Amino acid sequence: MSALFRKMEDRPWLFLAPAVIVYAVFALWPMVDVTIVSFQKWNGLDANRQFVGLANYQYIFLQDPVFWTAFINTVIWTFLSLIFPPAIGLALAIGLNREIAGRSALRAVFYLPVIIAPIAVATMWRWMYDPFFGLFAQTLTEWGLPVPDFLGQKDTALYYVFVAYVWQQVGFSMVLFLAGLQSVDRSLVEAAQIDGAGRWKIFRHVTVPAIMPTITIVLVLSLIHSLKAFDIVYGLTGGGPAQSTQMLALWAFSQSMKAFDFGRGGAVSVVLLVITVAIVIPYLRWSMSREVHE
Amino acid sequence: MMRSKFLCGAALLGAATICATAGVQAQEINFWTINFSNQAANKALESIAQEFEAKHPGVDVVFTQRAVDEHKTALRVAAGSDTGPDIYFSWAGLGLGGEYVQAGMSVPLDDYYKKYNWKDELLPTAAAFADDFAEGMHGVPFTFKGEALYYNKTLFEKAGITKEPETYEELLAAAGALKEQGIPAITFGGTVNWHVMRLMDVILETKCGAQTHDDLMAMKASWSTTPCAADAFAELKTWSDNYFLKPFMGISQQQSFSLFVAGRAAMMLEGNWLVQQLSEASDLNNYGLFPFPTGTKRLYGFAEYNYVSSKSKNPDLAAEFLDYFISTDVQQRYLGTMATSSINSKVKYENQRPLEVEWNEIFGAYDQMFVNGDQAFPGNVTTEYFRVINEVASDNMEPKAAADALQSFIDNL
Amino acid sequence: MRDHLNTIRKDPLLLVLWLALICFAVIWIAPFAFIVFTSLKGNGEIMSTGPFALPTELRPDNYDVAWNRGGFSRSFFNSVFVSAVKVPLGIALSAIAAYALAKMPGRFNRLVFLLIVFGTMIPFQVMLAPIFTLVNKMGLVDSYAGLILPYLAFGVPFQVFILHSFFRGVPKELSEAALIDGAGHFTIFRRIFLPISLPILAALFILDFVATWNEFAMALVIMQDQSKWTLPLGLMSFQGQFSNEYGQLNAAIVITVLPAVLVYLIFQRYFVSGLAAGAVKG
Repeated sequence: MSALFRKMEDRPWLFLAPAVIVYAVFALWPMVDVTIVSFQKWNGLDANRQFVGLANYQYIFLQDPVFWTAFINTVIWTFLSLIFPPAIGLALAIGLNREIAGRSALRAVFYLPVIIAPIAVATMWRWMYDPFFGLFAQTLTEWGLPVPDFLGQKDTALYYVFVAYVWQQVGFSMVLFLAGLQSVDRSLVEAAQIDGAGRWKIFRHVTVPAIMPTITIVLVLSLIHSLKAFDIVYGLTGGGPAQSTQMLALWAFSQSMKAFDFGRGGAVSVVLLVITVAIVIPYLRWSMSREVHE
Repeated sequence: MMRSKFLCGAALLGAATICATAGVQAQEINFWTINFSNQAANKALESIAQEFEAKHPGVDVVFTQRAVDEHKTALRVAAGSDTGPDIYFSWAGLGLGGEYVQAGMSVPLDDYYKKYNWKDELLPTAAAFADDFAEGMHGVPFTFKGEALYYNKTLFEKAGITKEPETYEELLAAAGALKEQGIPAITFGGTVNWHVMRLMDVILETKCGAQTHDDLMAMKASWSTTPCAADAFAELKTWSDNYFLKPFMGISQQQSFSLFVAGRAAMMLEGNWLVQQLSEASDLNNYGLFPFPTGTKRLYGFAEYNYVSSKSKNPDLAAEFLDYFISTDVQQRYLGTMATSSINSKVKYENQRPLEVEWNEIFGAYDQMFVNGDQAFPGNVTTEYFRVINEVASDNMEPKAAADALQSFIDNL
Repeated sequence: MRDHLNTIRKDPLLLVLWLALICFAVIWIAPFAFIVFTSLKGNGEIMSTGPFALPTELRPDNYDVAWNRGGFSRSFFNSVFVSAVKVPLGIALSAIAAYALAKMPGRFNRLVFLLIVFGTMIPFQVMLAPIFTLVNKMGLVDSYAGLILPYLAFGVPFQVFILHSFFRGVPKELSEAALIDGAGHFTIFRRIFLPISLPILAALFILDFVATWNEFAMALVIMQDQSKWTLPLGLMSFQGQFSNEYGQLNAAIVITVLPAVLVYLIFQRYFVSGLAAGAVKG
């Protein structure tokens, strides 16, 4: 018995099996299945899924009244996610990288929203955006300003949702940048100061090159994260008003799980999956090559 | 279960037949239904089940209650598997509830209707939906609900409105009079989609008449070529532009109710279930009620049904429970808990609040109804119906374009 | 403190910076204050007083009512149960797999590793419907296992990735000496690798706990039955039903958020080190 155990003990696949099986069944297979179902028509009720070729893709690209809204919203959202949370996070990190009073308390404050459930963030902000009694409505009324229908106006709702997202995400970028700033060589900064270089010059020529890898990582993570935006939109607007805040992930979910059109929902999923993979593969190559160089 | 086995073991030598019956009787009725926002309804269900259990030893009625969306998904899950409930709740008619019937989720109840003479007890309008299907009668009425305009009497007086509008023109005039006094005529919550839809539903009935309205909802008539469809959207736009309490797209139905109670708007298009909520939140005497003047002879509302599931291993027992549930005795004792009025025609009404009396008069005055759009359409069309309604109501789409968009969606199904 | 004063004297811009950071922090913390204040007010007061007015008449019963109406004792238990099973189990699976990938020669290690790293980047939100179909086919909808298995699948990649790079950094001499002494890989893993990786395991543990506690989308499709809801689902449904009971709604938010906040405040340093580990290697 113990001899057998000794023998088994050196088989790598035994160590790998539990994790790999769970991963393959519940993460990789659904990816395959969603691709299959995107070529089928299925309402979740019938026993048979009927093969329909490219009909679902043709539908979402040409006829679906919401797909392109969701697509453009996802692009806008991703673009904004690459700018605001990282930029504010970097600014905060640079500020908090100095020896100042209350540094760790301040860091805790900015990071706190990150650990809150996105759905709770959505519930909080939905209440703050209440057009009659919410935080913003009351403040604006006190100042004698008109109160907009924050989440009810088609052309601006997405941006108000995004503000809540920024509030939550900034701390994440900040912590990564704080870690990255540790790799800035102090002696280089001091040498530059002695040479009479200004703050901007030091930042531009010493800090930025040193944190370049961190910047890349933060941008990639922000991007991946933004494609996942689901909870916060679901909780704040549910995609409304009139589907104007729909995003690809949420639209795929709504088509499949609310309207029970698994084929069309699957096609939307595949589009998002292809976009993600197109971004992920080059990044993985880059980070793998970095690892080899190390 | 354990106990009946033990008893059988002990009695093995003696009466084997008794054991057999005991074994059969130890069974469950799994009843899937939604979570009713009205707590009294949830409690009434439990206690009716307990009474039934007391009369049928060994029978255990087990409720599984879910939120509306989860309930719909759960039924789909059940449809694709071997197990499921014995009885499930759904809406009446061909739309929302019909989908499950067509997928084979429901057992035809013709034999039980005959055996228990259900048609003799049931209100004809409520029972009519069971005959909607090509094959067999499906489901037994659970509740019967109407929707009408509630109004704030003080605000109506302020605007000099002395009598309840009886035609659509009078209603528009009343809304105009309110507007002149700076009072928003009506309040809706836009985030939930189905709330603003109610106004579209009743305007469609007004503009198109009963037959055309039904054809549109059954997707037999074209939305783009039937002029009254675009007219109805245009009328909806008039309302949202002029008479809604604003903002409305960013609030929910409950919030709009709070605003109605706070006197911020004069009317609300709500169901008979609102009487209870209104009495908890405010003084009922300050509110009146009248059906939306569609000009057709039909009431806006819907019925909820309980269906015997095809997954049930003992449909006889399930039917027996439903028979007990709709019996005059039970319906009389639990009157007012599940809805203001019963689906049983023999129930007597006493000691009712004024608004409830008024509801009963309304129910008595109509013998036909038209149902909510989200119950008439399949799920994906409903999503699109919501979208175009919201687009028109928030001034982002022209009425004609909305009708065209909806039709093009239907064409691509 | 004197050091701070000195630096400020040397560099007045620091004072400006400090004040700016404080202002920013006040803005960042304001939503929390607003939520907590609202959660202690009655509806009448909410509609009549300013957003940051302290409650004049404390209404702690909002919490009580919200707790009962929302069935939060049930969803609280479910959240605790799912986290308590998923988090240790997931880390154990990941640690063993990461060890094998880093320290045991295997023909497919490279391929498996690539597949797993790929998984760190794929959003499962895209695949909610097929995951639902799969779990449903297995008859696991509305069961703890039905939720925990996909959670494991989507937690494994990140954890394997981090632990793999950590284990690879462990000097060869450490394990080789033990191998020569006749110890098997499992013994080496348990006796040598586990003890030295405790700090990183703790960091992963905390990060994973918060992620599991907060997860919404997957639970939304798998847990259809109210009795199996986790806290985020309970909160969402509460908002759906009682969005006009402002005091209670905000109490429900506090109930949902508080455990994660407490865990964060207690284990703060692990969060930062965990994230930093991910970032530097990532």
